[in-house]
Amino acid sequence: MIGMSTRHILLGLLAAGPSHGYDLKRRHDERFPQARPLAYGQVYTTLQRLVRDGLAEVDGTDSDGGPERTMYRATGEGTHELARWAGEIAPPAPFVANEIFAKVVVAILAGGDPAGYLSAQRAAHMERMRELTAVKAAKGADLATVLSADYALNHLDADLRWMSTTAARLTTLTAEVDAA
Amino acid sequence: MSRPVPLLTAGGLVKAHGRTPALRGASVELHAAEILAVTGASGSGKSTLLHCLSGIVRPDAGSVTYDGRRLEDLPEKRLSELRRTEFGVVFQFGQLIPELTALDNVALPLLLAGTDRAAARARAGEWLERFGVRGQEDLRPGELSGGQAQRTALARALVTGPRVVFADEPTGALDSLASEQVMTALLHTAREAGTAVVLVTHDAKVAAYADREVQLRDGALAPLGVTA
Amino acid sequence: MRTSVPAIRRDRRPAASLRSDLRLAWQLTRGSDRGEWWRVALTATGAALATGFALAAVALAALRGSYRVPVAAGLLDQPGTRSGVIVGLLLLLVPVLGFLGQCARIGAVHRDRRLAGLRLAGATPWQVRRIAALETGLACLLGSAVATVLSVLVLLRQWDRPTALAWAGIAVVAVAVPVLGAVTGALALRRVVASPLGWVRRAGPRSGRGPGLLFLAGILLVAALALLAVVTTSTATPHRPNGRVPLMMTGAVLAAGAGAVWLSGATAKATGRILAPRARSAATLIAAERLRDDPWSAARTHAAVLLVTLVGTGFMGIRQVLSDVVHTSPHLYMSASYYTTGLDLTGAAVAVAVTITLSGLAVGTAESLATRRRGLAAQAAAGVAHTVLGRALLLETALPLAPAVLLSGLGGTAIGAWYALLSDRPVPWVIALVPVAVYAACLLAAATALPLLRRSVRPGELRYA
Repeated sequence: MIGMSTRHILLGLLAAGPSHGYDLKRRHDERFPQARPLAYGQVYTTLQRLVRDGLAEVDGTDSDGGPERTMYRATGEGTHELARWAGEIAPPAPFVANEIFAKVVVAILAGGDPAGYLSAQRAAHMERMRELTAVKAAKGADLATVLSADYALNHLDADLRWMSTTAARLTTLTAEVDAA
Repeated sequence: MSRPVPLLTAGGLVKAHGRTPALRGASVELHAAEILAVTGASGSGKSTLLHCLSGIVRPDAGSVTYDGRRLEDLPEKRLSELRRTEFGVVFQFGQLIPELTALDNVALPLLLAGTDRAAARARAGEWLERFGVRGQEDLRPGELSGGQAQRTALARALVTGPRVVFADEPTGALDSLASEQVMTALLHTAREAGTAVVLVTHDAKVAAYADREVQLRDGALAPLGVTA
Repeated sequence: MRTSVPAIRRDRRPAASLRSDLRLAWQLTRGSDRGEWWRVALTATGAALATGFALAAVALAALRGSYRVPVAAGLLDQPGTRSGVIVGLLLLLVPVLGFLGQCARIGAVHRDRRLAGLRLAGATPWQVRRIAALETGLACLLGSAVATVLSVLVLLRQWDRPTALAWAGIAVVAVAVPVLGAVTGALALRRVVASPLGWVRRAGPRSGRGPGLLFLAGILLVAALALLAVVTTSTATPHRPNGRVPLMMTGAVLAAGAGAVWLSGATAKATGRILAPRARSAATLIAAERLRDDPWSAARTHAAVLLVTLVGTGFMGIRQVLSDVVHTSPHLYMSASYYTTGLDLTGAAVAVAVTITLSGLAVGTAESLATRRRGLAAQAAAGVAHTVLGRALLLETALPLAPAVLLSGLGGTAIGAWYALLSDRPVPWVIALVPVAVYAACLLAAATALPLLRRSVRPGELRYA
């Protein structure tokens, strides 16, 4: 996922009301299933940066019977920044960063087996698509799960299509790379 | 996934349409209650493989064995009966009889099997509801949306309780949301009923609903990986 | 499929535009499949029959007063009997119209799609109409030309110097048949012409009354001509009550024709509506729902069957009684052969009508198969036995025809009985077998399409839309 901003996602979670780090992490993982889970360390450093930049502030502490936790809430400036970010258009594929393509070209340059690589990569992609489909099609899956799985599935499908057309044109590509 | 005896086995299938070869020695196995995707580019022989596996066409060479019976040894009458009782088929479009209502279309296989009309309609109604086609029972296929028509077709394929459903691009004419609803309905009912499914598709997102995938390239099974 | 439709030249000059339309019509016919050639051949045959009957009627109508006509045992010598023959010939046009109506349906789905494609490619409604008119008109022209040439050759051997009136009549018929064909071809297209997508995307059932009305209009035309012919040829015999009998006859034919079309459509609809909810077998259900969905599709042919049954049964009754009279009466005005030739001629006309009607029925059944072949192939793939599909096909013909044939058979028998009572002869009950025979023949005609069924359900059909 491109340019995923942890800062803004935490600010967004804080918009619902003051919360502490552990709770934020739990709600993040719940809200964005299939995304890479947030590490605690990352949550705390991000919160400290938000406070430093004046976008969030400490809202006291809460013990709730257990160990004491620092509560955070968004400042007015934080709310403003969140609104700006949420309305901002995500840049559509600013750089073509295609690891698969790089590996195919390198395989050709180094006299490897680009077709074999593409074949193995396709199998891995399909395996992942089957996993995601199983998650999404499971009975009782909520819409957030379905939508996030769909997002990944569509991207993997795009990769697959690209790999199919590339595999069909490997001979021409090899000639071109070798001639250069 | 590996069980001792496959439900359906095909070996060395060869089939030509006129002078155009469609299959050149394809072999495949299907286990009970397994969902198998057959993928490949256009013209790779996917539909022909499905037609051979389901006994709709006889291959020029090779053999298909279903539940211990060799399909090429069966007369057309027995093959028809097999397709009617043990198999279900779904195509991309056009399998519903345009003059019959959705309900009667689903009831049709039961009627053919000699079920009483009222009982057939009652059971067809249950299946339509299971596939989420509710309130449209009395519409004709022309009045259904593409997704509703395909779910009706699935209900018809499953109403007799077949052991294998053959689906040829069942979502080929649908948008992604309708396609998702059709595939989810197929997956859930097949899992519940323990029905095996052979799913022919060119769409990786549809193939991902299957347990396993085989790829055809130029009429033969390709080593799993990239389609050309 | 036909995707490479040549661009239409938007030519202002009418001559050049007509030429390009003609070329396009020719290209479309040449590039089309076997079904289209069947349509052309059968339409030409129907047009030839229509021209032949009309020409014979016209030639006879051109005669004034008494002649010695060297055929038909003197039956054509007198104006009175001659007008009867003319009416008979014109009545033969009714089954021919039914037959032509069935021919127009061959490949109708493909043709509509193709013409809609022309509209999408930028053709104006007028251009599409003209191309369609040319396609049908040319087939009719072919049939009419062949029939005219043959008829004129035969005529010249029988009649040294045909009158100017006869020549004029021949010319009118030879031109009218293709022109009427072209007009019908253009009229049948009103829905396609309206929108480039209209026909292709149609989802619901058609209203379907159009063809029936067209058939009725045809009968009306025939009846008007018959009336005209009888009135003009019979003037030479002043002692006959000219006006009333032909008028009554015309009225009877019109009523019978209109009634037949309505009856066959209505019985088809009623049969479907009654049977569909009660059907116990798949074949009956499919047949009944098809009838309910489009009861008018076979109305023309079935109307012709009704008329043929009515006329045939009635005729058989009259024939029985008359030949009884001819063979037992000691004093007759003319020789016995005069009367028997008349009867035989009428019998031949009825037989020809039956043959044409049955051909129309067979063509219609084959066409309904060809149109649905993808669906049928899907049924067969799903394991529906060929026998079930064949049974449904036969039931579609058998179900609506049964009440209609029964009714017209009763009518015909009544005519025969009435005639027998008038002549004080025993009622020939054996004629009640005629409707049974017609019904059986209809089923046989429909069954001729069954070999096509086997070809239609090939899995190869699953691959195309």
